[in-house]
Amino acid sequence: MRTWTDLESFEHFIDDGGIVEAGDDMPEPYRQEVFRFIEFHANSEMMGGLTERDWIPKAPGLRLKQIFLAKTQDEIGHAHLLYMVAADMGVKTRTEMLEDLFAGRSRFHNVFHYQAVTWGDQIAIAYLVDAAALASQRAVFAQCSYGPYKRILKRIIAEEGFHMRHGEEMLLRMAEGSEVQREMFQQALNRWWGPAVQLFGPNSSPDDPLLKWKIKSELNENLRHAYVQRYVPLLHSYGFTIPDPELRQEDGKWIIGDIDWEPLKATMRNGGPDSRRRIENAAGNWADTAWVRDALALATAGAA
Amino acid sequence: MTLSSAPSTGHATDLIELLRQVFDPEYPGVSIVDLGLVQTARVQPGPDGPEAQVGLIPTFSGCPALAMIKDDVESTVTRLSGMPCVVTWLPTPVWDSSRLTAHGRAQLASEFTVVLRNRDGSLRCPVCGSNDVADQSMAGPTRCRSIAWCDDCRNAVEVLR
Repeated sequence: MRTWTDLESFEHFIDDGGIVEAGDDMPEPYRQEVFRFIEFHANSEMMGGLTERDWIPKAPGLRLKQIFLAKTQDEIGHAHLLYMVAADMGVKTRTEMLEDLFAGRSRFHNVFHYQAVTWGDQIAIAYLVDAAALASQRAVFAQCSYGPYKRILKRIIAEEGFHMRHGEEMLLRMAEGSEVQREMFQQALNRWWGPAVQLFGPNSSPDDPLLKWKIKSELNENLRHAYVQRYVPLLHSYGFTIPDPELRQEDGKWIIGDIDWEPLKATMRNGGPDSRRRIENAAGNWADTAWVRDALALATAGAA
Repeated sequence: MTLSSAPSTGHATDLIELLRQVFDPEYPGVSIVDLGLVQTARVQPGPDGPEAQVGLIPTFSGCPALAMIKDDVESTVTRLSGMPCVVTWLPTPVWDSSRLTAHGRAQLASEFTVVLRNRDGSLRCPVCGSNDVADQSMAGPTRCRSIAWCDDCRNAVEVLR
């Protein structure tokens, strides 16, 4: 176990590329911030997995059902790993985190507060939203100072990269499909472009502790800018229109219009368009499976 | 990599070298050869010169990566050797973790914190080397992995099964 005499010496350790391990006597503010970040990530994987699950019966064709089954297992598995690492930090138990999530007391990614109306939405999520989430996860992984989180992020990123390839494949089918399919995707793009660019969050504050302690390695606005440079030309090349009347090019770079942050703030209060239904749905699953947890607890007690 | 004989007089050994360039979509950098997916690799004469025929076995049936791996093998072999390539997924033998090469195991442990179970069923932590590793869940993020926890260094470990 390593200890630091004060926050300053701890920050020197982080600046020098030091990796904090679970048994280290880390400063309390660091523990709290890192815990909150991992809990948010875990909650988002959980709520994302439940969304993917809803589309297994609706996915057109066996191959796509297989892909959605696998994606659901991936997301729930990622949540499981993240909750283990978060619970180990000693701030909340796993059960407390789940109960807070299902009672609407926790936060999760803005994109899981909207309703997926058509199959086109599911493709927009796989192609656009997963790509945005992956870009921000990669930026966390790049310098991540908390060892146990960095190790699971490596596997999570590999699997999310694999999801993105599925997203590209599904998008290509829509883009090369009939007018009805193309229109379905355009409508979905109109709904999801905003949430996708907001996912990176408002412009970073220069004294963001997550940047200082190397949980984040990049400013939110830089990640968003890089994402826009990549996805605007791709979507244009398929003949789709980005729903942003102020989108323009300056010195060869794509610049998006000013973002209205009210929708993002609403989702962080669990007041997004579909927040309530999603949280109630997840809470219902939690209540319905209470008997499994009870039986497991009894079995464990009996074995001891 | 030995490519000297391809494509005009291609050999199976050269083909294996080409297959080492194909990585598993869920483990970037780990080749399908090291994961033990390659069962047969032949170069046979075809109407327009040599052709590659590759027989692969899946880690688990229903693995969502199969179509992607097949595409990756066919396009990589053709790009690197100029030979046409046909991949077939074989129903037998059944894959198990003993098919991994030592190099594949080392890569999974050091880069992905993924280990194989020891012969006696125990687990060794890929982070700190402790044997104090306990199973947590039969189901992990993929069909081919379960979840364990190292009580010593307190890291989440995944087990290839």
